[in-house]
Amino acid sequence: MIQGRGAARPATALPTTFRRRFKGASAGYLLTAPAIVVSVVFLLIPMVVSAYWSLTHYNGIQAPEFVGLQNYQEVLSNPRFQRSFQNTVFFVVMGMSIGPLLGLGSALLLNTRLRLRSFYRTAFFLPTMTSLVVVATIWKFMYADNGIINSVAGLFGLPGHDWLNDPTTALPAVVVSAIWQGFGFETVVFLAALQAVPREHYEAATVDGAGRWATFRWITLPALRPTIVFVYVIGIIGSFQTFDQVFVMTNGGPISATRTVVFDLVDRFNKLDIGGASAVAYILLIVLAFVSYLQLRLGERGD
Amino acid sequence: MRTRQRTRFSRNAFLLLASFLMVAPFLWALSTSFKLPGDVFAYPPRFLPDPFTLNSYIKVTTDIPFPRYLLNSVIVTTSIVLLNVVFATAAAYAFAKLRFPGRDAIFFALLLTLMVPPQVNLIPVYKIMVELHKAIPALGADTYFGLIAPSAISVFGIFLMRGFLRSIPDEILESARMDGASEWRILRSIVFPLALPGMATLAIFTFLGAWNDFLWPLIVTSSDDMRTLPVGLALLARRNASDWGTTMAGTIITAAPLIIVFLLMQRRFIEGLTAGAVKDGA
Repeated sequence: MIQGRGAARPATALPTTFRRRFKGASAGYLLTAPAIVVSVVFLLIPMVVSAYWSLTHYNGIQAPEFVGLQNYQEVLSNPRFQRSFQNTVFFVVMGMSIGPLLGLGSALLLNTRLRLRSFYRTAFFLPTMTSLVVVATIWKFMYADNGIINSVAGLFGLPGHDWLNDPTTALPAVVVSAIWQGFGFETVVFLAALQAVPREHYEAATVDGAGRWATFRWITLPALRPTIVFVYVIGIIGSFQTFDQVFVMTNGGPISATRTVVFDLVDRFNKLDIGGASAVAYILLIVLAFVSYLQLRLGERGD
Repeated sequence: MRTRQRTRFSRNAFLLLASFLMVAPFLWALSTSFKLPGDVFAYPPRFLPDPFTLNSYIKVTTDIPFPRYLLNSVIVTTSIVLLNVVFATAAAYAFAKLRFPGRDAIFFALLLTLMVPPQVNLIPVYKIMVELHKAIPALGADTYFGLIAPSAISVFGIFLMRGFLRSIPDEILESARMDGASEWRILRSIVFPLALPGMATLAIFTFLGAWNDFLWPLIVTSSDDMRTLPVGLALLARRNASDWGTTMAGTIITAAPLIIVFLLMQRRFIEGLTAGAVKDGA
């Protein structure tokens, strides 16, 4: 872009080159300045402050008092946090073992010549677009004691159940609503990836006499590998941060049955335990960094 | 031949049933929002409201300030989308096409912040906003500024736009420079027009994120007048357990604008949202 950096330029060209380079640089700083300022003020400084607070007793009013790793010890040995962490892992594992499979299955069904394909795709994608709060509110209504789910069950002669108020069913019930909302995204992503597989690969497989399963196993699946990694990483990171649905549907209850890590964080914040809340945030950061690290490793092995 | 027809039939039957399961909860919410309170839990369930009433909508727009929530959501979302599209594109152009000392280091540092979950910054940013509000009441916590500023420029947006802008050939920019065009002029008359498809994608991403954002608006707002739709709806759904008709009317008001925009521009939505994913994969 800026040519003639070499020494063999005529002396008269120097000022122009210099001015140009300077002009380019100042434009570069000017154009990136808003982004840099916003990132420093709302990301970088808060990140450092949060790390510091996690090492202090701090209630947001009096000055923070340095206590080393005491908050981390307290958080990790706190039964409510342990419960929250277990619930979150349950959320992630259950969601991730059903959602992507449903998404892949739907995408495979949709990746054929179908008259109503775009209608189906829209229908599957609709809940994904909608806010978590909207979906949580609708499902809370459907799960109600005399709600539509129990009514439909009743029409088939099945007994009703107070899904969200029973500690054993509350968490699975919330997860089901999350899967319902989320798998449309996976469907659409897998569908786009399937359509990007070159047709010649399938033709070659047919020529070689490969059956359906062999084609799927040796052509489709390898081609989808990066998409599968993407879907799982996005999904795991997203469900580790679950909060909205729980806040609306169960408020973490009954008896902590649906508390999640982020719910625990917000709860501590509301109780002015800012040091503890910051420690929870950093524990979440470490877990998610580990997930991203695994993604990098998996991605490398594919190439 | 007949088995193929049969598989096609069962495939369509299955997909129709699945689509019904995806759409039915929304229709059920819509139907409930037009029912009288006594009909909401009628057994056996009735799909069509009879009699049909707008009471819930009247209640949700008079007793509860949903029009105000809607206005807040529109103001906040529009501002965030505009700020992101302009500033992320400008920054992305600099990162993709200009040379200046520290460029790659700065870009890398920005990318690293993508790894940090937003909950880590939540409380410090809230504290900043509280202090700012004490100093300047028009800014900070419980103001539009507090709702908008932290989302004004997303690093993800810069990353996305940089990908789009890198495909603009350097020769076009170089010849514009030869003709004496300033960087500002180049940005306005070459980069922005060429980046339009990318900006549309960014606008969609940002629109969805801002319209549906929950945790930050929940924490930074304290007066009912500053709530956005998701926050207002969540608080309604938590306290209003018995009056489901009103809650469903609020749900419809919250969901409808987004669903309408989605149905009008769904090709753009789906292409935009999957482009990133598939490109990332390939």
